[in-house]
Amino acid sequence: MRVEALALQLRPRPMAEAADLGVLLVHRHARSLLRTWAPLFAVVALLALATIEIRPWLPTLLLFCLKPWLDRSLLFVLARAVFNDETRFADLWAQQRTVWWQGLLSTLTLRRLSPWRSYTQPALQLEGQRGKARRQRRAQLLAGKRGAAFGMHFVFANVEIALCAGLAMLVVWFAPEGLHRNVLSWLWQSAGVGNQLVLALAYALVIFVLEPFYVAAGFVMYLNRRVELEAWDIEQEFRRAFA
Amino acid sequence: MPLDTLYLAETPEGIALALRPAGLVARGLAWMIDLAIRLGLLVAASIVLRALGGFGGALLLITYFALEWGYPVVFELSKSGATPGKRIMGLQVVMDSGLPVTPGASIVRNLLRTADFLPFLYAFGAATLLLRADFKRLGDLAAGTLVVYSESVTLHGALPPADPMPPARTLTQTEQAAVVAWAGRAPRLTPARFEELAELADSIAPAPQGGATAPRLLGVAHWLLGHRGAPR
Repeated sequence: MRVEALALQLRPRPMAEAADLGVLLVHRHARSLLRTWAPLFAVVALLALATIEIRPWLPTLLLFCLKPWLDRSLLFVLARAVFNDETRFADLWAQQRTVWWQGLLSTLTLRRLSPWRSYTQPALQLEGQRGKARRQRRAQLLAGKRGAAFGMHFVFANVEIALCAGLAMLVVWFAPEGLHRNVLSWLWQSAGVGNQLVLALAYALVIFVLEPFYVAAGFVMYLNRRVELEAWDIEQEFRRAFA
Repeated sequence: MPLDTLYLAETPEGIALALRPAGLVARGLAWMIDLAIRLGLLVAASIVLRALGGFGGALLLITYFALEWGYPVVFELSKSGATPGKRIMGLQVVMDSGLPVTPGASIVRNLLRTADFLPFLYAFGAATLLLRADFKRLGDLAAGTLVVYSESVTLHGALPPADPMPPARTLTQTEQAAVVAWAGRAPRLTPARFEELAELADSIAPAPQGGATAPRLLGVAHWLLGHRGAPR
């Protein structure tokens, strides 16, 4: 890791402030993210939505389960973004073996259940350790930071629900005068495919917007933890001043 | 320009203040804590007021109104400038000039919570916190306020003892700060990592061949802090 090349100002921050810096990282590299994340997510979301004919609740469940796998591509882009590197889809495609297929099973099972997955994911995906070393690394990252990591996850989970509900309410609001109640009961209670499709679409849209922020927040929190553990801020200053 | 979350405010005297605005995670958690506190107070009030019958019901509605609208304003105008939830998360409400929040601004930013509440469950407020670089929601924009981190993290410990020694050249302020910060970080780092960092700054603590750089750079840190003479 070339600490001096990091395009983030390193200093000791509270964990929540590091998560905020992640939000700004997404702003600055929105173009890189769009170029890679939009096509990838469009394909996955369309495939997931196509399963609505099998069971009305299946697309939502599929998207939910696939999130840790989708996060890997986002983290790949963001890990380059902290060095100010632009990413194109071709770059992601070239790295697909490590980004998409490495540790596929644990990504889809164990990672899905982790309550702080975006915080520990960089250690698993970027540090390339295995077995015992990897477990120790994870424990070291989490020591004393479980609360902060879970708090971040908890906030984003709630925002996801709020945004989904907000989008669903928009549908209700755009209903013709006097029919709001009917539309509302159609949306929540009918067992048809149409309303489930609307809800699944809203969920997909929210994931599309929110997931980059979630991954970036966890990633910068991880970097912040390394500032704490390894004095990266001082290394950055020293290399800039004395090298 | 390295990426940072600072918000620069200029005082009338022309001094630039760097405020550290707080975003979604800290404020979301603070909001949840406040919500829990308000709910708790409301439940307690309803248990007490139930004994009064219909009159109690009216009082309960007034209590609810006061809690919903008064709670944030009263706490934000108190000395800490923060509701209990914000205080637990280490946050504070200030004007975006860095001054303490004024009563008018506090009322405006809390009245506009309704605008953030819509369409549903603060979806709009969350969206503005994610999309604006200074993490202001609508109420903050209208009132000209900012929610900032009031506490900073210190990783510093006490400096390990060493013989003071002057640096090989004059150091700029940031360089001095970096050296002192490095020295104060000693208790948190392994000796190997401590030495590895010291070697980056080898040029300002030159010494006879061989030996570790860390003790000499520590001496420089003591010298920069104004210690002269015998080892402390």
